[in-house]
Amino acid sequence: MLLAVVVLAGAVLSVQAAINGRLGETVGVLRSSLLTFAVGAVSTGLLILFFEPAQAVSLLEVPKWQLTGALFGVVYMMVMVGAVPRVGTAVATVAVIVGQLGMGMLIDNFGWLGNPAIELSGARILAMACLGLALVFMYRSSARQAD
Amino acid sequence: MQSFDEVVAAPAPVARPGLRWLLLPLVILAGMGLSVEAGLLGPLGEQVGHLWATLSIFGVGSAILFLLLLFAGPQKGPALTDLPRWQLIGGFLGPVYVVGLTLATPHIGIAMTMIAILSGQVGKSVLIDHFGWFGATRKKVNGERWLALGLIVAALVLIARG
Repeated sequence: MLLAVVVLAGAVLSVQAAINGRLGETVGVLRSSLLTFAVGAVSTGLLILFFEPAQAVSLLEVPKWQLTGALFGVVYMMVMVGAVPRVGTAVATVAVIVGQLGMGMLIDNFGWLGNPAIELSGARILAMACLGLALVFMYRSSARQAD
Repeated sequence: MQSFDEVVAAPAPVARPGLRWLLLPLVILAGMGLSVEAGLLGPLGEQVGHLWATLSIFGVGSAILFLLLLFAGPQKGPALTDLPRWQLIGGFLGPVYVVGLTLATPHIGIAMTMIAILSGQVGKSVLIDHFGWFGATRKKVNGERWLALGLIVAALVLIARG
């Protein structure tokens, strides 16, 4: 059930990327990102006002390092803007995925940042291998279409 | 937030090979940052609520981008208000993704959440091409892409069981 939600979130993300890609081409990546983040902040704020139950702990009370998530997102965006035209989209995408999954496994395995520790099992390694192969096939098929 | 779709339209790189390999570690680090972001979100959402955690991302992100834009000076291209309205709806989709992240990471872990996200991205593009959904031109999806989708489903089954 939860897995379905995340798969759906991935699909939504790629729809968003398609819309934003076009937007970024016309108005520049800084303005298109600001627009995305501002609309996201305002709509989340509205949802909080009307639907969020009161919480015992507020954002102001948690340790400050827990609030730094957005910095990583903005840095990621800047790096991609600089790197994609120089290394190519395909290489950049694969490099990002390698970093994402590698770091994800490290955080999971050691339970960093206050996350529950999930040991690296055979099934998890197999799942990564399947995904890696899938990426290879996707890349090969798109390279062929481009010819 | 990135999409795998971009691989499908991979342009030829233009940089000298040396520079390329210098840039790669930087891009890998940026990808690692995405997992750190997700790793911060899960525990934060458990404490302050998923929507509040989402607001922290979009609020801080908006503030930083606003400042960057202010100091970057005038931008090329048309004003935002001159654009077709539908191009502005991307912003409503971002929170769906971030709320999904905060909900899922404490239960299935960060690496598995990332795999599920990638599955959604790849699956979406294959299915849209094959059935021509959302007004996309219907393209024949070749054997390799079906194989890719099959492998991704296998990965998801492995996650769901473990």
